[in-house]
Amino acid sequence: MTARSDFLPPGLLEHLGGLELVARTVVRGFQAGIHRSPLRGAGEDFARHRDYQQGDDVRYLDWKLFARTDRLYVREFEERSNLQAYLVVDASASMEYAGAGGVSKLRYASYLAAALAHLMIGAGDAVGLAAFGAEPRLLLAPKARKGHLHDLMLNLERLQPGGTAGAAELLDRLGTSMRRGGRVILVSDLLDDDGGEALVAAAGRLSARGDEVIALRVLTPEESGDAAPDAGLFFDPEQPRREVPATPRADSGYAARVAAYYASLADRLRERAVEYVPVSTAEPVEQALVAWINRRRG
Amino acid sequence: MLTFGSPAFLLAGALAALVPLALHLIRRRPPSRAPLPTARFLSLDPRTSVRVSRPTDLLLLALRMLLLVLAAAAFARPVWRPAARGTASVVLLDRGAAMGGGDAWPRAVSAARQRLLGPRGEVLGTLVLFDSAATVVPPSHVAPTLFDSLAAARPTGGSSRYAVALRAIPAAVGGLREADSVRVALVSRPRWNAWSDGMGPLRRAVWPGAIELVELPDLDAGDSDIIADNVKAKEAIYFANALDRLSYAKPALAATGWRVRSAAASADAVLDSARLIVVAAAVPASAEAGLRRAAEAGATLLVTAPAAASLRGIIPWAGAMRVDSGGGGMWLASGPHVSGAGMRVSGDAARGASVIASWDDGRPAAAARRLGRGCVVFAATELERGEMTLDAEYPRLLDGLARGCEAADGASSIDRNAPLDAGARAVLRGTGARVVAARTVPGWGGGVPLGRWALAAALLAALAETFFAYARRRAV
Repeated sequence: MTARSDFLPPGLLEHLGGLELVARTVVRGFQAGIHRSPLRGAGEDFARHRDYQQGDDVRYLDWKLFARTDRLYVREFEERSNLQAYLVVDASASMEYAGAGGVSKLRYASYLAAALAHLMIGAGDAVGLAAFGAEPRLLLAPKARKGHLHDLMLNLERLQPGGTAGAAELLDRLGTSMRRGGRVILVSDLLDDDGGEALVAAAGRLSARGDEVIALRVLTPEESGDAAPDAGLFFDPEQPRREVPATPRADSGYAARVAAYYASLADRLRERAVEYVPVSTAEPVEQALVAWINRRRG
Repeated sequence: MLTFGSPAFLLAGALAALVPLALHLIRRRPPSRAPLPTARFLSLDPRTSVRVSRPTDLLLLALRMLLLVLAAAAFARPVWRPAARGTASVVLLDRGAAMGGGDAWPRAVSAARQRLLGPRGEVLGTLVLFDSAATVVPPSHVAPTLFDSLAAARPTGGSSRYAVALRAIPAAVGGLREADSVRVALVSRPRWNAWSDGMGPLRRAVWPGAIELVELPDLDAGDSDIIADNVKAKEAIYFANALDRLSYAKPALAATGWRVRSAAASADAVLDSARLIVVAAAVPASAEAGLRRAAEAGATLLVTAPAAASLRGIIPWAGAMRVDSGGGGMWLASGPHVSGAGMRVSGDAARGASVIASWDDGRPAAAARRLGRGCVVFAATELERGEMTLDAEYPRLLDGLARGCEAADGASSIDRNAPLDAGARAVLRGTGARVVAARTVPGWGGGVPLGRWALAAALLAALAETFFAYARRRAV
């Protein structure tokens, strides 16, 4: 119970409850939702009434209620879709880094994954969980039932950082195990020794077979250069023997090199129709999600 | 004005404070090891180490330097004094009966005035008027009119006590805290009747420096038979068979004011002029009558152990008179203690005689008895033998023995009115500087000592340093 509250605090739920994850692609399924599904109206479940606002579709006005109350209400329905989604969380050693006074990247990634799982299951999507660090692991198969959310939370809570495995192998395994037209949300710092080549290729393969692939890049301000640390002997947690005596705060090229790396990675991902979403751990989780959803809505 | 008792500690503290400063400037810490997943994007810092300096470092440096300086300042014994007024004076003015006669009293008041009033009438110190009691006149009451009224008055007629005057010195000095040095003067006509036992230790205890003796002249000869008799009292005959053995006692007596002559035992002619006759060796039987006659006429006959057998009929001593080696230490009733007597003669004081000295074991060492107008003293040891002749108190021992009957039956009016001899004057004067720096006066200091406050501030600095050092470690 504690873990669940930790992941989904009431404030976060309050903020995220009105949000809808807008898919870019039309998902074919059994149930219609507010997505641009051709099967809208079949099997939809009434959820609640709300005040009519300008722009609302008049087809959903509740005329009987208007006759009784002399006020305009529209009916809202819970969405139902057959979207199969995977949350892929990076649990490698580098995700343990927290920066000064903040949460670790893995913790922040877990927040994001939990919030997204909540939203997607609430929207009727089947959500699975996979992680990579010491090794690529498929933790939970996608399911849409409410009780599955609890299993997701528990598995996210149990994730321990360690190892140097990349996401590419895990993404390829997902491509073979999930139906086409699914959604893969990768939450990672996207730091790979090969400059992200294998990751871009694997994500491209998923995208090519019709899946929606989203890469949420999690980074601390210390790593991005926004709050570069003072002098020290630095090492990559995934390569602890390689120490670099440096003064990042005085290194004017540090932030530029980090930005260039991620800009290159983002370009290559977008070329393969993979959505790249940079997120900073300094940013509130709900704020990051709202910003992202608003960008998607255009 | 801030003064320091040991200013060298300030220099030491300043040098010590440079040590943390130097360490702060030269210290270069190796950089701390820290994870950073994006370390691959860092450019190498050409420096192998970096000097990490935080604001707390400067605070710690300041606290450490302050701690050392304050500790050194505490050791330097800082004292805050009001503006110093140079050298102040304490004048002990004798107003006893001895100051009567002639113009002694006006001259004494004038001498005190000279020392306590400056050329423009400014007050230079404190006046102590004493006879058998002392009155401290504080500087605020010292004025020309005071001396005018004193000069117009007469001495009190009481007996003077130097002990009383000496004990008043600390109180008198205590009223002179604004001065940076003090001197003490005693204006008196030094007489034995103002003296008392234990004057030496008392004198050393009350004042660390010398005391200026402003001696007023004695009355003219003829004014008193006492004085004429005292002149005679300074004559001494050292009476021995072997004159060349008198190498210790003669100069010792001379040091205490006696004019010593040596004579053969048969020189009866010289006995009449002697106040003291020291018999240091056995004398022929024919000499006994002359010595008895001289004693009856007023002389003091000091007989030592080697002459005991030849003068058995005169000396105030009884018993077997067996000679033992190793006399040990001798205590004189008037105070002096002399160690290292070479031998002793057993026995006890004869009937009618008084013990005036004892051995360390309590047995009698000397006795005295009146004989006519004079006195016979027997010392149960040999005054020219043993290490006692090297003792600093040896002259006072001889002088005390020479005054044996005074100690035995109390001071006779004649001798107690005699002027102090040179030894007693030396005791009164004391040793050391005539002007004493205020900081050397025991229990005075002449200001507010700040050493303990400096030490307390140093402790606070140490606590603050500990706190900030701990906070810094936590921050790192």
